[in-house]
Amino acid sequence: MVNFTVEEVRELMDKPTNVRNMSVIAHVDHGKSTLTDSLLSKAGIISAAKAGDARATDTRADEQERGITIKSTAISLYGHLEDDEDIKEITQKTDGKDFLINLIDSPGHVDFSSEVTAALRVTDGALVVVDTIEGVCVQTETVLRQALGERIKPVVIINKVDRALLELQVSKEDLYQSFSRTIESVNVVISTYFDKTLGDVQVYPYKGTVAFGSGLHGWAFTVRQFAMRYAKKFGVDRLKMMERLWGDNYFNPATKKWTKNGTHDGKQLERAFNQFILDPIFRIFAAVMNFKTDEIPTLLEKLSIKLAPEDKEKEGKQLLKVIMRTFLPAADALLEMLILHLPSPVTAQKYRAETLYEGPPDDEACIGIRDCDPKAPLMLYVSKMVPTSDKGRFYAFGRVFAGTVKSGLKVRIQGPNYTPGKKDDLFIKAIQRTVLMMGGKVDPIENVPAGNILGLVGIDQFLLKSGTLTTSETAHNLKVMKFSVSPVVQRSVEVKNAQDLPKLVEGLKRLSKSDPCVLTFISPSGEHVVAGAGELHLEICLKDLEEDHAGVPLRISDPVVSYRETVTGKSSITALSKSPNKHNRLYMIAEPLDEEVSKEIEAGRISPRDDFKARARILADDFGWDVTDARKIWCFGPDTNGANLLVDQTKAVQYLSEIKDSVVSGFQWASREGPVAEEPMRSCRFNIMDVTLHADAIHRGGGQLIPTARRVLYAAALLAEPGLLEPVFLVEIQVPESAMGGVYGVLTRRRGHVFNEEQRPGTPLFTIKAYLPVMESFGFNADLRSHTSGQAFPTLVFDHWQILPGGSPIDGTSKVGQVVQAMRKRKGIKVEVPGVENYYDKL
Amino acid sequence: MLHLVGLGLSDETDITVKGLETVKKAARVYLEAYTSILLVDKSVLEKYYGREVILADREMVESSSDEILRDAQTLDIAFLVVGDPFGATTHTDLVLRARELSIPIRTIPNASIVSAIGSTGLQLYNFGQTVSMVFFTDSWKPASFHDRIRENRTIGLHTLVLLDIKVKEQSLENLARGIRIYEEARYMTVGQCCQQMLEIEEIKRAEGEGMEGVYSGESLAVGVARVGGKDEKFVSGTLEQLCEVDEVLGGPLHSLVLLGRRTHELESDYVREFAVDKELWDTIWKRDYEGKQ
Repeated sequence: MVNFTVEEVRELMDKPTNVRNMSVIAHVDHGKSTLTDSLLSKAGIISAAKAGDARATDTRADEQERGITIKSTAISLYGHLEDDEDIKEITQKTDGKDFLINLIDSPGHVDFSSEVTAALRVTDGALVVVDTIEGVCVQTETVLRQALGERIKPVVIINKVDRALLELQVSKEDLYQSFSRTIESVNVVISTYFDKTLGDVQVYPYKGTVAFGSGLHGWAFTVRQFAMRYAKKFGVDRLKMMERLWGDNYFNPATKKWTKNGTHDGKQLERAFNQFILDPIFRIFAAVMNFKTDEIPTLLEKLSIKLAPEDKEKEGKQLLKVIMRTFLPAADALLEMLILHLPSPVTAQKYRAETLYEGPPDDEACIGIRDCDPKAPLMLYVSKMVPTSDKGRFYAFGRVFAGTVKSGLKVRIQGPNYTPGKKDDLFIKAIQRTVLMMGGKVDPIENVPAGNILGLVGIDQFLLKSGTLTTSETAHNLKVMKFSVSPVVQRSVEVKNAQDLPKLVEGLKRLSKSDPCVLTFISPSGEHVVAGAGELHLEICLKDLEEDHAGVPLRISDPVVSYRETVTGKSSITALSKSPNKHNRLYMIAEPLDEEVSKEIEAGRISPRDDFKARARILADDFGWDVTDARKIWCFGPDTNGANLLVDQTKAVQYLSEIKDSVVSGFQWASREGPVAEEPMRSCRFNIMDVTLHADAIHRGGGQLIPTARRVLYAAALLAEPGLLEPVFLVEIQVPESAMGGVYGVLTRRRGHVFNEEQRPGTPLFTIKAYLPVMESFGFNADLRSHTSGQAFPTLVFDHWQILPGGSPIDGTSKVGQVVQAMRKRKGIKVEVPGVENYYDKL
Repeated sequence: MLHLVGLGLSDETDITVKGLETVKKAARVYLEAYTSILLVDKSVLEKYYGREVILADREMVESSSDEILRDAQTLDIAFLVVGDPFGATTHTDLVLRARELSIPIRTIPNASIVSAIGSTGLQLYNFGQTVSMVFFTDSWKPASFHDRIRENRTIGLHTLVLLDIKVKEQSLENLARGIRIYEEARYMTVGQCCQQMLEIEEIKRAEGEGMEGVYSGESLAVGVARVGGKDEKFVSGTLEQLCEVDEVLGGPLHSLVLLGRRTHELESDYVREFAVDKELWDTIWKRDYEGKQ
């Protein structure tokens, strides 16, 4: 039975100090959904018996089948702290003992990390799940970094402790060391991305921000819980006790004193953590798993664990599960940790407001967000679209940052391209209904005040993927989300029966709405293309498309890689193009942009929205740019934010500002479809060297300048030793030593490059890190499985772009030239790359 | 030989006798149809000339001039331009290309708005630099014409303002994507022109350029429509008044003259007849123009 009602939840929403919005994040298979189950079972949403197996937040059939989470799922829970002492320990303002926890379970597989981004945006805290045995993996680091970037406060649970005990049979000290190492590596990541405003958010067991447990068996504990038990026994302060139960603290039974010294009379003392916390757990495990039935009752009595009569009959793992779950219920440990240490919206929005909002920090919208004020104008961020049971319609999922949203409220729906004062990407519509998201189900709710998460009905057709909802006419957008993955793998789709085409078109629209990262577009040759983060991501998207969004049989092409065009040198001569009427001339030079600058742009740390003086300072100080040049960056491209720059280096050209718009349009066009294969350009810098213009504005309009700008950019690029960039995955493979040969074999055959190999201390597992071109990654998983008898587990995540080796892309006989020609053929454009003479005009 | 033939301003009968003879015997006849338009349809021309006329749009003239110049070394090609062939600077390029191909060139002049504007009664001697006014967009408001007008007005000269026409043009969005979809034809009216002029003047004043300003809503001007045609129309008044006269002026093409302060009394007497409000005209004339050097 669900032990709380929607009314109770609604009541708690009015006390934002008692709300916790949190996401569960981790590397794939570290047990997020399983852990989440224990919280759900506490709330009565699923039965205790099923917890750990149900994976209730994996609502889709394919998620259950594959055993991985694909979409993030939100659920609202009711939490209650019994003890007044607990309440006292909350450092932020609270009101009563009841709490509302809005939890989002997110996918761990890298291909779906855009889902994580969407989840993080609407939460203030994160429960980071780390596998005891595997430790901190690529994706743990990625999601943690994303979380800190959004100013999300983390707490950690080290999961699957049961495996360490049952499978690896480690000693207490080894386990302590392994915990300590894992926490250390989490803290290394946290301190690398230190943010002054968020403060120090490193996690420490003795502060209660780390829990240990087993999601599968439904138990977990924090040092704090044990400290409470022992504080009474030893008659010391609880906080002091907490510190003693971690690190180099020992209790000397001979002197009955606490000491920092690990030896006494030449004998090794047992670490307090091992003695007081691990020991009872180890004993339970030993007694139950070795079937010492006579020892069990004494042990239970000593630890004051009371079992139900029917549970006493169980034995082996079943009994162990029941005992541990009764001894250390996972939900209690987690709830306590979440409520005590994660910030409420009131606390979090104070420091998140400035990073969340694009507008000035002192307008009504920003102040409303900062104060989490339910009476301020509405500021709501829709972070993703969740499909409804009504086919083709979506719930807009988001968070109220200020104001109160209710059914029937008329709001301004501002898409990502909205700019204040203009009408682009703006709709004014009424919200039909507001709902509470409960895993796969929804419950209607009348209204929702600031600080809470909800679903909205009736606005899906006005937003593509995400956006801002507000009632203030002057409000800017809440900051657009940056994704850590890019769609680098694409496949084209066509319908098997021609009459199904409209359904495919409609289906593609729905697909792009339902997934934050997928990209759908029509290629110049008329193909429908779907691009995704990796093979798996794309496979799931296409399956959804075929079975759900479009619902018609499809023919799907082999996956192809999306490339980028770049330049590797400086234009050999200044490129010149004349406008069609020959009265205007543009002179340009192309040169490569520093890889570091490109990466900063792609990460959003250097962006077109920055103040140009501040940006120029950064470019000059950190990247050696000339300040004058850096101040005269006309634009970024493609899509006005890509990693190509157009720089004005002209001297005293009259009316240059009047053609800026046209040249910028031409630049967007050219950088979106480069001269070599109509792939987007990347990491190119174009300098406008000189311009001559007709005296009269009528002869230098867009019609004259836009095509000319494109031609001169093409010419400049072709004169600057063009190159093709291919995307490269970072591959991390966990593999036992015996199967390593197979891994190396597969990697070598696929142009892989291993750069790190490390044994995980205390395990026979090795972690191999390598770079693998995306082009070579198709079928990699299957290949690896067959060469290692299924013992290697790879994670692939896009890492960087690299020059495709093997000659010039404009030389049709070189290897790269062949790739280009194949690409051009597929796109239905002339197979040979048009030469520079097509774009360069002689004086 | 390439013959550049001026067609005059209004209809098929404005062509000169020499021009008509050239057209009749030419191997191919092209009609340039984007810098200006005639007030009659192409079919009317064809009927009058008794032969086929090929419409040459901007793309053809600018990008496929080779087709126009094909075999012009030996054949006679007529290139018809509304008004005078060199009234606009646009066609110098075609001539340059013809020269490169060693094609002989002959020009047959005709009336142009630049000369016909004399029918307003303003003396051609008193005109300064001609400017053109383009359609503004939200983000593109070229203001260079303002500097030209300032220069003219500093020495008291009239300014002829030619107004933008958009025949078979792509929208900027389509242009930046290379999609060849053309917008509906648009012709600027005197009203639009006056509004844009005042808009720029306001911006410039706000920026503090030219402290006293270059012109104002009370500056005198003449709006003209279909000059040289049977139903040509003149309206004079202040720029503010001219913002509202589009209905009086009627269909395209429109032009505007902004008066310089050195306007001769005779000129004023002539233009005054077209005034929207003669009394106001006289007041402003006396205050700002009469006897000023």
